[in-house]
Amino acid sequence: MTEGEIRELCEAFFDAYENRRVDVLDRLYADDCIVWHNVFGRETSRDENLERFHDSYRGQRRRTYDDRTVNTFHDGFVIQYSLNGVQTSGHRGSLWICIVGRCRDGRITRIDEYMDSSKFGAWAGTSEVTS
Amino acid sequence: MRRDWETLQLCDRFFDAIEQKDYDTLASCYAPEAVVWHSHDCRYQSREDNLAMLKQGMTTQQKVRFRKRRIRTFEGGFVQQHTIEVTWQNGFEGRMDVCFVGYTRDGRLTRAYEYFDTAQVDRFLGPR
Repeated sequence: MTEGEIRELCEAFFDAYENRRVDVLDRLYADDCIVWHNVFGRETSRDENLERFHDSYRGQRRRTYDDRTVNTFHDGFVIQYSLNGVQTSGHRGSLWICIVGRCRDGRITRIDEYMDSSKFGAWAGTSEVTS
Repeated sequence: MRRDWETLQLCDRFFDAIEQKDYDTLASCYAPEAVVWHSHDCRYQSREDNLAMLKQGMTTQQKVRFRKRRIRTFEGGFVQQHTIEVTWQNGFEGRMDVCFVGYTRDGRLTRAYEYFDTAQVDRFLGPR
């Protein structure tokens, strides 16, 4: 893949998350894709992630992936962004996330996600923002 | 023109300097206007404040190692994923998974972004 193609894949992936297009995500995840989350410290499969997609939106009215800074390299990308959400309660929250993705043949083969789970309460509106 | 080898050298020099408690080399990796952003407060820290913090760490940490370094370079910078392992003066061995995104100019770091999970701070700092 060219770095231009990798960039397009990265943008398509986060657009699909934002627009709740599970069908697109299904196409963009490689069959053997692994997703690792720093807050859990473990790897999950593509199917686990797709199955949990709708649960991850529970209680949320809208979610946007903003301020995307994408940099590409020969086999993947790093994206830094702010995840802004509006809960069904009307509460607005933000998380700042960095993801390193690996790509092959037009699909994503691995995702490593870094975020600060101490901000989940502020994100969901269940605690005050601490910083 | 991309000079990935220079970026890789800078990345290694930076983290090796922290491991080896080589403050002068560490400071030389930063451009004068460098700033460092951390995910726990989402604020930019000045070069001076960051270096002061790292210098203090060189005295309070018995040993620091950046394990499982996975580095990729891109136009204007690099990303390194690692597990920082620290042996504190009380003997506690802490660890934290970190993603460090560095932006460079003329062979030095101008901006850096460090992402980690502060909910795991006990696992990193140990009993206090």
